[in-house]
Amino acid sequence: MGTSTLQHFELHVLLAMLREREETYSVPLVLALEKRMGRPVAQAAVFIALRRLERKGLVASRLDEPDTGRPRRYFRLTKQGIAAVKAQRDEHARLWQGLGRLLGERKG
Amino acid sequence: MRWWLRALVDEEDRRSIEADLAELYELRRRIDGEPAARRWLRRQQWIYPWHLLADRLSASIPRGIHMQHLWRDFRYSLRSLARVPALAATIVLTVGVGLGATTGMISVVRGVLLNPLPYADAGSIYWVYTDTPPFRFRFSVVDYRALEADHPALSAVAGYQAGQVTVSGNGAAERVLARSVTGSYFPLLGQRAHIGRLFDASEDARRDPSAVLTYGYWMRRYGGDPSVLGRAITIDGVSYTIVGVQERAVGPFENGTALFTAAHWPEPKRKGPFFTTAIARLRPDVSRTAALEMLRATNHRLFPIWKSSYQDEKATWGLLPLQERVVGKVGSRLWTVLAAVACLLLIACANAVNLLVARAMNRDRELAIRGALGASRGRLLQHLLAETTVLAIGAAAVGAGIAVGSIALVKAYGVDYIPRLDEVRLGAVEIGWLGLLTLASALLLGLVPAIHSSRLRLTGALAAGGRSASDAPATRRLRRALVATEFALATPLIVAAVLVAASLDHLAHVDVGVSTERVLTAGVSLPSGRYPKESDRAAFWQRALERVRALPGVQSAALADSRPPSDSGNQNNFNLEDKPALPGQGQPVCTWVGVSPDFFRTVGLKLEKGRLLDDHSLQDNVVLVDRAWADRFFPGQEVIGRRFREGGCTECDWTVVVGLVANVRWTGLDASQDGTVYFPLVDVPTAYFVLQTTTSPSSVSGALRQAVAELDPQLALSDVASGDDLMDEALAQPRYLSVLIGMFAVTALVLSIVGVYGVMTYFVQQHSRDIGIRLALGGDPSRVRRMVVLHGLQFVGVGVVVGVGAALLGSRLLESLLFGIGARDLRTLIGVPAALTAVAVVACLLPARRAARLDPSVILRES
Repeated sequence: MGTSTLQHFELHVLLAMLREREETYSVPLVLALEKRMGRPVAQAAVFIALRRLERKGLVASRLDEPDTGRPRRYFRLTKQGIAAVKAQRDEHARLWQGLGRLLGERKG
Repeated sequence: MRWWLRALVDEEDRRSIEADLAELYELRRRIDGEPAARRWLRRQQWIYPWHLLADRLSASIPRGIHMQHLWRDFRYSLRSLARVPALAATIVLTVGVGLGATTGMISVVRGVLLNPLPYADAGSIYWVYTDTPPFRFRFSVVDYRALEADHPALSAVAGYQAGQVTVSGNGAAERVLARSVTGSYFPLLGQRAHIGRLFDASEDARRDPSAVLTYGYWMRRYGGDPSVLGRAITIDGVSYTIVGVQERAVGPFENGTALFTAAHWPEPKRKGPFFTTAIARLRPDVSRTAALEMLRATNHRLFPIWKSSYQDEKATWGLLPLQERVVGKVGSRLWTVLAAVACLLLIACANAVNLLVARAMNRDRELAIRGALGASRGRLLQHLLAETTVLAIGAAAVGAGIAVGSIALVKAYGVDYIPRLDEVRLGAVEIGWLGLLTLASALLLGLVPAIHSSRLRLTGALAAGGRSASDAPATRRLRRALVATEFALATPLIVAAVLVAASLDHLAHVDVGVSTERVLTAGVSLPSGRYPKESDRAAFWQRALERVRALPGVQSAALADSRPPSDSGNQNNFNLEDKPALPGQGQPVCTWVGVSPDFFRTVGLKLEKGRLLDDHSLQDNVVLVDRAWADRFFPGQEVIGRRFREGGCTECDWTVVVGLVANVRWTGLDASQDGTVYFPLVDVPTAYFVLQTTTSPSSVSGALRQAVAELDPQLALSDVASGDDLMDEALAQPRYLSVLIGMFAVTALVLSIVGVYGVMTYFVQQHSRDIGIRLALGGDPSRVRRMVVLHGLQFVGVGVVVGVGAALLGSRLLESLLFGIGARDLRTLIGVPAALTAVAVVACLLPARRAARLDPSVILRES
């Protein structure tokens, strides 16, 4: 199963991609992750996470080469990718069940 | 960043990564500003390869490697290596020395050649010089003022004049290096004050003499006392106010410099002399070629104004990166040494692999049993790799020590001839290199034996008495290839060592032209404040010479402004009456040496023709020339009575040649001799005493020092050296290189011999049964001996031939380091391989003799 080997940062990238809704490239993802995580994110880390996710079949990519502009590699979530995010969420939800109280929060 | 990206990702990814980084850089530049964005980009470029490498590695580590296994293997390896201490120590030491020496040299090459100078944006700083190929002169004050007034291509220009000065007051008088710098100097280099202030643009308008101390001199002379600010310091007899101490800096301009004074150069009356170094910062939007064109245009406008004192119309201005100017010619030497140590590391690795393969052969049974008991091939591999890891860690530890030691050695012995050594250090990057080299060696050391062993046929190895599986032809070929490789690497190293040593020998036997035995020299400089007039200085030198001549142990004494063989006088241009330079052509240039009349007798320089200088020579405007000068300008003709005007002057009086003396090496032992003019030295501010002594020169130096102090207590002797010291100094650099490469060559030779001996011993051991049968059937022991030796020579020969090829390929690197011998010297290229082969024969003979003496009955019974 792909999800079992999903790393922390890879999940972050998948979530950021989900937020972008359509296919995207590394620059908006770096900016979005920096905004959400509140710390600098290396483009190298994002790019490598994307290629690794691609190897796992969770995202797909294509190279767009406009005549004048810069070449860009666009990534989009695959069905397996969305499934993996969902599976992660469900797993987390099960793990968190009933723990809020122990952390001093009112609802659990 | 291109090259590593190309190595690690494909073309499409590389372009999209670059485009994305460029876009992010643009965004950050708009938000955070240029410097922050640039820092960010540098960081991204730095971390990218590590991310990519980490990704590659994590993808390639096979599943199922367990930590507890690793730990167990590690401990087991330690125990099993302890059982073969000689082998383990040999590998750890040889590979460690290779690793350490290579890391040390990488540090030196990085610190001296590759790292930018420690000045703000050093890549854009250039040296602007007077360009009359093949010479590169400094600027004159006239040139500098013109550049300062008109430099559209440059964002800043600065100038300095460097020289020895006498500092007195607050302790004993001493000679130190000082730089007289323009107000733009410190801002251009981006330097700050530690305390007080440095000079800035406002300095040029101020008239009060002020000085800035370097951090090192402030610590040395004032013990870091902050109250020096505002105090007076006497430099060459003039009182300066200390206005600041420079921040601690290790750049080539601070190194060895004691202090800076604010330049207030007098308005020049003629174009020369050319004593001013001009440095400039290129504007970012101007290319070097465009800048050069604009500079040359400035020079072109300047030329007619000073034509009366400078006619060389071909001379123009040039632009050279400051780093190249600072590093000079030392680059090829450092690369040669780095190549040599890298060879050494490879030889050490090849040798270690050879030993480990031999060991793996002996362990076939053990590994086969482990395999039979259920260990997977991966586990066996892991076990073998653990052993090489232990060896590599040991080698790395030795290497770290050697690296520290080799850097200290280079710093201690190379300080006089390698610039920027203060900037060499063992930093994070160098440690990274050590790690990388260790990893590479460990892979080399581990993979070859491991691959060999993983091919092991279990049943074959277990069959008692059967030929070991590892005696397979592939393994034998591998071991011989390794020994051949060692010889292929050792040959060029030994060739280089022999050539460099021969070159040193040639240098040491160069005829300097003057006697260096029982000669003592020492410099004295007269402060302009105390000896302002020419007559004061002339009187002092006269008095001093009389005093020195009367010292016990002094046979004769003279003055000179230069010292052979490599402390040369100035170069000067001149125009011959009989062979005037054509309009627009450069004038001839040669070495000018100022001497007092007694100089020739003192150093035993023979007069060939005409007469020597005397006390009236200055007024008469007469000079002597040497044989090389006569041969260059008037071959086969009379040279006495020829006249010229010096320094490009058109209205000066003619200078007349009255005598001809033998050649002397003034500009270096290996320099070509372009002629020397000897002019009378009478009223100069700085000169060397040159004494012929009757006893050892060192025994006279104390008396000389005292005599000078008695004449004027504010004067200090500098650069005291005997004639032999000066020769030693001139030979020090080539000797240093020779010893270094010689050491590497000897190590390489020993390792290669050990390699061939090991392989041949094993060969005899493996073939003892065949040999035994042969001998039992009446074979001739001498034929057995010949067979073994010839077998060894096969692969030694291949290695040596390849090595000669490598030596030929590398000859261009070596050419510039040699004197009196070519890098493709036939005798060396034939002699070294022959000698190497002869030594290899001896190494093969020992196992061969053992083979010939085998007792057939014993062997046949054993098997």
